[in-house]
Amino acid sequence: MNNVLKFKNKKANVVAQDEIYNFAYLDENTKRMIRRALIKALCIPGYQVPFSSREMPMPYGWGTGGVQVTSSCLTTDDVLKVIDQGADDTTNAVSIRNFFKKTANIETTETTGDASIIQTRHRIPENQLNEKQILVYQVPIPEPLAFLEPRYQETKKMHALSEYGIMHVKLYEDITKNGHIETAYAYPVKTNDRYIMDPSPIPKFDNPKMNNNPAIQLFGAGREQRIYAIPPYTEVTSLDFEDYPFDPSKAPHKCSICGSNDSFLDEIITDDDGNRSFICSDTNYCNQRMKDK
Amino acid sequence: MEPILSVQNLNKYYGDQVGCKNMNMTLYPGEVVGVVGESGSGKTTFINSISGNLNPDRGKILINKDNEIINFLEISESLKRLLIRTELAFVHQNPRDGLRLDVSAGGNISERLMSIGQRNYGNIRQTIFKWLDKVEIDKSRVDDFPRTFSGGMLQRLQIAKNLVTSPKIIFMDEPTGGLDVSVQAKILDLLRKLVRELHLSVVIVSHDLAVIRLLADKIIVMKNGEAVESGLCDQVLDDPQHSYTQLLVSSVLQV
Repeated sequence: MNNVLKFKNKKANVVAQDEIYNFAYLDENTKRMIRRALIKALCIPGYQVPFSSREMPMPYGWGTGGVQVTSSCLTTDDVLKVIDQGADDTTNAVSIRNFFKKTANIETTETTGDASIIQTRHRIPENQLNEKQILVYQVPIPEPLAFLEPRYQETKKMHALSEYGIMHVKLYEDITKNGHIETAYAYPVKTNDRYIMDPSPIPKFDNPKMNNNPAIQLFGAGREQRIYAIPPYTEVTSLDFEDYPFDPSKAPHKCSICGSNDSFLDEIITDDDGNRSFICSDTNYCNQRMKDK
Repeated sequence: MEPILSVQNLNKYYGDQVGCKNMNMTLYPGEVVGVVGESGSGKTTFINSISGNLNPDRGKILINKDNEIINFLEISESLKRLLIRTELAFVHQNPRDGLRLDVSAGGNISERLMSIGQRNYGNIRQTIFKWLDKVEIDKSRVDDFPRTFSGGMLQRLQIAKNLVTSPKIIFMDEPTGGLDVSVQAKILDLLRKLVRELHLSVVIVSHDLAVIRLLADKIIVMKNGEAVESGLCDQVLDDPQHSYTQLLVSSVLQV
């Protein structure tokens, strides 16, 4: 009895989390259910695993899928980084970071290299990830065929039978209309030479970073109740034509803060006269470069 | 010569209702078989059952693919859909059912090409132009949406979309229904030309005896879900034996 009390006290000291919540908000049964979905998703790269998404204390579209995946992956030793469009300091990123600080009492960071789990909305960090890291994407619409074939039953069949001709019809239409492939974000990829996957709305500039990445990449769509994944060192190719190859283009500018030539840039309108400047979308990358200078 | 498609004792019921019953058919390469009958006689059920759109309750459908006989009703779903994409083609009565209306004309034609793995935009574009030419649609319309096309053009576009991968067997359900007479004549002319040129094997359903007489080599007359008479097209239409066929032939307006 004494021992139990002692243990409880000790645990309470270590964790010292808000007693109202279970560790990382979700109850253990839910986390187990999500972990099972995650394992299945990792076994079949790019395949969308249905899961029973829970109500979270935030609206759909704010990253409920990503939060549930992060919650299921977190341990007390983890260091969490949350980015929104590359930035650590926007509302969504700050709120989710505070959410886990409060419910899991874990350490958080803004430094990509220090994080063990990175939850992201619409970007992959510029710094190369490593084998000890997990990247969790927030996904609004997981089905890459949704805009071409509205029937869910039919898209399931098309995935099962690799009937992906229609995906190239979209790219064909792009080239015909614009002379090049106009799709600039949510650019469809083929994972492990099998499933066509929506990489969530990351810019196509980030697509090559998914290929052969040493980190685990997990995708959670809360409203649509789907989880999918890319295991480490998996081949991820962007769809294209032989005579119109994939081009991970970016704005032809330098970052006006750190001067980086090869990071993804946000366009900022600076006054009412239409003046604009370009800065790194990855705030941590930009800050580090400034510090190094 | 081996038949390219043979249907044996095919039955399809909707609950207690007969869709079609005890249907038999053999289709040889380069041959056109016409299926006629009044509305509700089971023509469409029959063509849907043998083309993979419906699952028949009983019977056999044998398809000859490069001298290998495939039992169409017993193969896996994936092989079935691959066959439907490559060896078979279905031309709907309403072209809007067979086309993607929010995809350009060229995009519609290209879909089957890309689904069998073609990945060269330039080559695909060439093939599209070749087929627009074949179905007599002006090349300048290649990037227009089907909804800007006339009924006759839509039907020709649907035919091009289906024939672009050179399928062996074409199913057509009333391909000229709902078109005015001069456009009908144009489509029929085109179909007859393509059948000859490409050595197509066709099953065509129509209630219009004139269409069947023009295109078909053999004919099956259906009533209440059953074939009441079948044989060579000219023979059946010139010397109908069954009372229903006689009625059908005598009801054709003589202009």
